[in-house]
Amino acid sequence: MTARIASKALVVFLALVALLAVLPLLGLEGYRLRLLTLVFLWISLAGCWNFMSGYTGYIDFGPVAYFGAGAYATAILMIRLDLPFALSLALSGGVCALLSAMIGWATLRIRGAYFAIATFAAAEALKQISLEGDRVAGFEFFGGSHGLTLPPPPASEFFYYVLLAFMVLVVGISFFLEKTKFGYGLMAIRESEPSAELSGVPTLALKIKAYVLSSSLIGCLGGIEAYWLTYIIPDDVFNVMRTIQMVIMTLLGGMGTVWGPVIGAGFLTLVAEFLGAKFVYDYLTILGVVIIAVVLILPRGIMSLGKGKRGEAK
Amino acid sequence: MSLLECREITKRFGALEALRRFSFSLEKGEILGLIGPNGSGKTTLFNVLAGIYRPDEGEVIFRGESISGMAPHLICRRGMAKASQMIRPFQEMSVLENLLVPGMYGGRLGLKQAREQAANVLNLVGLESLSEVPSREISLSQRRQLELGRVLMTGAELLLLDEIMAGLNPTEVEGALRLLEKIRGEGKTLILVEHVMQAIMKISERIVVLNHGEKIAEGKPEEVAQNPEVIQAYLGRPYA
Repeated sequence: MTARIASKALVVFLALVALLAVLPLLGLEGYRLRLLTLVFLWISLAGCWNFMSGYTGYIDFGPVAYFGAGAYATAILMIRLDLPFALSLALSGGVCALLSAMIGWATLRIRGAYFAIATFAAAEALKQISLEGDRVAGFEFFGGSHGLTLPPPPASEFFYYVLLAFMVLVVGISFFLEKTKFGYGLMAIRESEPSAELSGVPTLALKIKAYVLSSSLIGCLGGIEAYWLTYIIPDDVFNVMRTIQMVIMTLLGGMGTVWGPVIGAGFLTLVAEFLGAKFVYDYLTILGVVIIAVVLILPRGIMSLGKGKRGEAK
Repeated sequence: MSLLECREITKRFGALEALRRFSFSLEKGEILGLIGPNGSGKTTLFNVLAGIYRPDEGEVIFRGESISGMAPHLICRRGMAKASQMIRPFQEMSVLENLLVPGMYGGRLGLKQAREQAANVLNLVGLESLSEVPSREISLSQRRQLELGRVLMTGAELLLLDEIMAGLNPTEVEGALRLLEKIRGEGKTLILVEHVMQAIMKISERIVVLNHGEKIAEGKPEEVAQNPEVIQAYLGRPYA
């Protein structure tokens, strides 16, 4: 992508963000406000997944591990320690950073499908801990299959702005990532890990850093959603469908690009919502057809339409 | 003190001894040619030196420090870089970006310095007109030039060049030789593995011959070319 097109895209995005920021003041509320909030959440999630998998090429099939861990950490800190939301959220990010550093240190030595399977297994393991931990340990902590109820949340506008800001943060990180030493190192790992290592790139350390960055932010998003919906259960916050959705949204938009997750997640969330309202019973079938069509016509994602593929002269 | 010293290196793959008690040393500024038949252990030796394999026995001393078992990226940063015909470029990245990675990581340059250095290196290896082209689109001989550029960007003083002339036509070999002369002029120390005899005999100051993982001869190119054991094992007939 040429530098000029890249900065133009950023200007368009920031203008859109400015517009979105004033919409609630102009009377946006209720269903539409919540729908847009959901769009921000999914763009952020897909964007975080893209930090790791899009740039390093390691397909993380367990990002929901940190979404769930973040949701539970936030809930537990708020309920059991009476901590305020912002502090709980920051600590949850820290918990997920620590957790992902440990899991990443162990799993990022294996490649391809094996890494995907290992991360998938880690997510399932965390789900089991939250489901059965209490029964095994014999005390009340995770709430088992009954889940946890958080303190009453503020108005919907609060989450609208928090997630809007989060989305800007994620897109901003991605935008600058492509121009830094860190980003070049990650892309080198994706293109050829042996060549990267022989060029002086500390590949394992870089992969762990990208994984921790991606996972801790996903953990924060889990915490925000938990507070927003006020009620969490393991089967929902650790649901593998969330992982699949992050993957599909990013693939649809374009992996390893700044705008791929934005376009993919925005498109899919809105199309799913529209189809869900129009065709209550058949919308998943139609959605499947839409996804297959996009993948067949544009195998490198919607972003490849704009010739914004990475590696083009810039 | 020698720049590089191998002390009795042995590397086994199962029952096969790819290298057996192999020793040699290399002085700063030297150009050493490494020859031998296929499977004689040349590439294994390079992989041991670059940190891809850990030797089963023996020690590699680089700049007075043991580097056996050290990770490849650390060895690269210490000043020994390997170029190989087998290494893939970063396909989706431009030729210029391919050079920024070793510049920033191996050579520890900032992005701006790396860009300046990449301009020099592109000039040196003759790829300046292709700097914005994705590296998947360049030709075989241009890939070899890029691979040389990659190791130069790491700022390493010792370059291990593994068959970078394989598959090149005679004109391209001539070009590669001129390029190596230029690189030598920059004060680099080189070890070359090559099957193109005309090239390696011409540029090397000293030749080491490997056969079945052992050193069978060592000396000036003209001496080695007349050595009966070398002729029997590898050359087939005296190399004029």
